[in-house]
Amino acid sequence: MSDKHRAYPLVDRTEPNLLEDTFDYGLPPRIRFDGPIVEYIDGKPVEFNPADLAARDIVITDTTFRDGQQARPPYTLDQMVHIYDLMAKLGGPNGVIRQTEFFLYTANDRRTLDSCRDLGHKYPECTGWIRADKGDFRLVREAGLSETGILTSCSDYHIFQKMKHKSRKDCLEAFCEVVDAAFEAGVRPRCHLEDVTRADIDGFVLPFCERLLRMSEQVPEHLSAKIRLCDTMGFGVSFPGAMLPRSVPKLIYKLNQQLGVPSDRLEWHGHNDFHKVHANAATAWLYGCDALNATLFGFGERTGNPPLEGALIEYISLRGYLCGIETQVITELADYMRSIGMPIPDHYPLVGRCFNTTSAGIHAGGLRQDERIYNIFDTTALLGRPPRVAITDKSGADGVAHWVNEFFGLKGEHRISKIKMHKLARWVLDQYEQHKRLTSIGDEEMEVKVREFLPEHWKKYGPRSAC
Amino acid sequence: MSNIRDRVVAVTSRVLRLDPGKIRPEHAFASDLGAESVQSIELIAMFEEEFGIEMEEDAALGVQTVGGAADYIAKTCREQGVKVEG
Repeated sequence: MSDKHRAYPLVDRTEPNLLEDTFDYGLPPRIRFDGPIVEYIDGKPVEFNPADLAARDIVITDTTFRDGQQARPPYTLDQMVHIYDLMAKLGGPNGVIRQTEFFLYTANDRRTLDSCRDLGHKYPECTGWIRADKGDFRLVREAGLSETGILTSCSDYHIFQKMKHKSRKDCLEAFCEVVDAAFEAGVRPRCHLEDVTRADIDGFVLPFCERLLRMSEQVPEHLSAKIRLCDTMGFGVSFPGAMLPRSVPKLIYKLNQQLGVPSDRLEWHGHNDFHKVHANAATAWLYGCDALNATLFGFGERTGNPPLEGALIEYISLRGYLCGIETQVITELADYMRSIGMPIPDHYPLVGRCFNTTSAGIHAGGLRQDERIYNIFDTTALLGRPPRVAITDKSGADGVAHWVNEFFGLKGEHRISKIKMHKLARWVLDQYEQHKRLTSIGDEEMEVKVREFLPEHWKKYGPRSAC
Repeated sequence: MSNIRDRVVAVTSRVLRLDPGKIRPEHAFASDLGAESVQSIELIAMFEEEFGIEMEEDAALGVQTVGGAADYIAKTCREQGVKVEG
């Protein structure tokens, strides 16, 4: 070994070190930091201390009924009320899911909002969403909402190409007139900086936000303008050192620390066009933005938004405790979404039918010995989803044994030995080797064979649901 | 023991579909005789049936060779009070 490389002698042990400070099986794994993060901004090193997160009231805001609904046919009133009800239960009494936003344009939009509020939940608070049109404040006032999102698009793609403003100044003044109208109406404006990751940050975004700060100084605190950073096309990146306007850390820093927009008035809204949506949103949290805007299961315009359930798990991982979040409701919501025709891919994290299902026999063997080996956390307790094995040609006797014992609900010394299942394991293998089967073996088919090959056990333990 | 070994060879040849004359005590089930995962389980199940015993799964799966299987089965028969010739 050359002198410039460090030597790493083996640290021998006879007992495992399962790193349980980080991987407490009863919770999603902790995200722990060694110390501050350093970013070079405007040529100077800037420190961000992740430990500061503990003192901030980071929250999740929801846009399932707004952006989420732009990606699908409209929900019915009853469906939205049920989803809202479950979302309130999921976020818990501390309001980890702090707000959710509603369209206000149709009579049905307004009836839905009223029906959700009639449930009497404190959280999520209901807010509105309108275009940057002064006349639309009538809708917000009539709905009795205290806060509304306003579309204040900020890239030149939008300012010139879409909205056809004569100049940036013309656009900025128009936006400010709408913000003034919000103040006059006694409604808190939440300015949605659409396309911010493709905008001129120093040339338009910061001057506009500075103007918002000055205007907000003239109104009571509860009306001061909030700023939603909208990564409309998913161009944002979380990597340290990335340049503006794509850098999430730098965007947050410029607004929060250089301009002075408080963290509790900043919100990140992302899109998933480049598979970065969740990491970008969590990065925004880390660098000083308190609100992470999300939708259930990431359903949203085009490629979707940060998945709300993923944000909740991230929240717990960063905090190290549940903070009142009822994680099992994630599964309840996924089941409900499926029941109303929303497709959730089988391998989708946390809620897909196969998210904690393993097919390989060697993995099933690991699960049989200690489920922590191949399960991300206690998915039975936190999501109501025990780890499972799918039966294929790769399952082996271990996979078959795991399936059968899960099916019968047998644990510890009560689990049936795989020796007793040799006929079933043989039947499975023959499906592929003799009959050239190309599909996995479904639960119902397995149940029939368990009854045939393990009649005594069936009589004693079955029938019970395997799912 | 020779009787036990003969019976182990007979079961092994039947499960793995091999000529019994070519199975030797030092042969490893997996690497020499080609036993795959499910066949290892079938072998143990057939040994249990042949000798009327119950084997502990992990210990039985830890046995590597034909001769080792005969020794392990002899020990298990003694422990479980099963009489075998040889």
